Amino acid sequence: MTPRVLVVGELAGGHLSGASLEALGSALSLAGAASGVVGFLAGSGARAASARVAPAVVRAATDAGADTILVGGTTFGRDLIGRLAARWNAAAAAGVTELRAEGGGVRVRRPVFGGRATETRRLEGPRRVLALRPHAFPLPPEAPVEVRVSPVAVEETTAALRSAKRTAVSAVSSGSGPGLTDATIVVSGGRGLRSPENFRLIEELAQSLGAAVGASRAVTDAGWRPTSLQVGQTGKAVSPQLYVAVGISGAIQHLVGMVSSRVIVAINSDPSAPIFKVADYGIVGDLFEVVPALTAEVRRVRGL
Amino acid sequence: MEIVVCVKPVPESETRLRAASDGMSFDPEGVKFVLAGYDESAVEQALLLKEAVPGSKVHAVAFGPPPRTEEVLRAAIALGCDLATWVEGPAEPSPDPMTAARALARALGPVPHDLVLCGKQAGDDESGLVAAALGELLDIVDFGFVVDLRWDAARSCLTFRRGTEAGEEHWEAPLPAVIGLQQAWNDPRTAKLPAILKSRRAPIAKVPWTPFPPDVGRSVPEKFELPAPRTGARLIEYKTPLEAAEKLVRILREEAKVFP
Repeated sequence: MTPRVLVVGELAGGHLSGASLEALGSALSLAGAASGVVGFLAGSGARAASARVAPAVVRAATDAGADTILVGGTTFGRDLIGRLAARWNAAAAAGVTELRAEGGGVRVRRPVFGGRATETRRLEGPRRVLALRPHAFPLPPEAPVEVRVSPVAVEETTAALRSAKRTAVSAVSSGSGPGLTDATIVVSGGRGLRSPENFRLIEELAQSLGAAVGASRAVTDAGWRPTSLQVGQTGKAVSPQLYVAVGISGAIQHLVGMVSSRVIVAINSDPSAPIFKVADYGIVGDLFEVVPALTAEVRRVRGL
Repeated sequence: MEIVVCVKPVPESETRLRAASDGMSFDPEGVKFVLAGYDESAVEQALLLKEAVPGSKVHAVAFGPPPRTEEVLRAAIALGCDLATWVEGPAEPSPDPMTAARALARALGPVPHDLVLCGKQAGDDESGLVAAALGELLDIVDFGFVVDLRWDAARSCLTFRRGTEAGEEHWEAPLPAVIGLQQAWNDPRTAKLPAILKSRRAPIAKVPWTPFPPDVGRSVPEKFELPAPRTGARLIEYKTPLEAAEKLVRILREEAKVFP
């Protein structure tokens, strides 16, 4: 029996978010065919109130005869699945990197202990709710299908009626690039840059790659860059396709936040720096020479 | 304000991970368990609110097996929590986060709770499910990824910020509410020795746990794997910075295939 899947789509800037597209792609492979997949589109304001969205999603899933709900691994998705699973009496798993249907049930793999281990779990019971880890699944191929759209009435639960309100949203201070936890490529700088002015070398390399900028704790503690850019145990955990660590020695507190990246590159003048133990590729050398050369080379091959 | 703070014992962060002999789950044998990092921030936040709002009480609640669950509750009492409730869970197989949330909600139902605080996720399974699930089960609003939580006495509401993909959101919310907290924006206090000694004799209310019916979903561990030890970086040999850049870009495009 293949699962019948409802995918919760999240709008970002008027488009389906990348995380939602990944959820759609994995739903198509899980259900085996598009006919087993139902979409639920949450409006852009929905991010604000999972207490309001959850009853509608559960209603839509029940009406569609779905037994599985998939969401992307954004803050909205991560907040939503706990409510969905509780309301639907379902099993739940977050941060999923692999999933497959087996004998009417679903098995998932997910990193645990900050990426230091991986666990496989079997989800038992008739219903399940899953949030995927960002960038762990490919985007689905574009294939136009005919879609039937039906509105869903929102049940007003006690929780939903309470008047919590968002008073302001300020832009993330990392500038114009992609968000740190969302990015496919992250370039991070550390103490090896020696001064806040030199951090522009990191920003230029990131810009050439279309990457987000990150920083080690030494950099944010020194006030060179805001704490919102900190990668590590006490900052953000990232798992991009490519992580470039520049002038970062690789303290365990930093490694915990980036070790589950798919490919890690380290640039550091100290060949004994611990970062080279977790990196896939390393350049031992003077970052003030290597990084500008790298930025120029990336610009050249990308025709920038 | 009646504040509940949910805590969980997790392996100390320096723990050397190993799989149990059946290979299905983490082996807790000989491992030192401590208050989860995010939960430590949640306890600190609860105590700060208690100090700011006269007449408040902080009630620590945990679900899990002996002896580690009792130990983290005593640690929470030593830090300044007034009451503690222990929902005694089975040791094996270690229950999943949804089971924990359902057990905690059942225990919290009859307990006064204006504000329920949780760490946004635990450092071991990193699911981050409990706060939102508690919100649904207790039928109150919940917010995750919260920093800078304060009580605005004049307007009787919580104020806080949370980082999302859209940016940094500023919020006001009335009680009751469940809040999942980020770590490291407050600097958690450490317990003093007399308080630690006193916490050993403090009463802990025990709530028995009964399993949920089979149509309530749950997850069961099947395999716990450690990554193959990283062999260290392949170092790129070069004579000039330009050569290093060219070689690295070629490897990233053709071999690692991480950018077009």
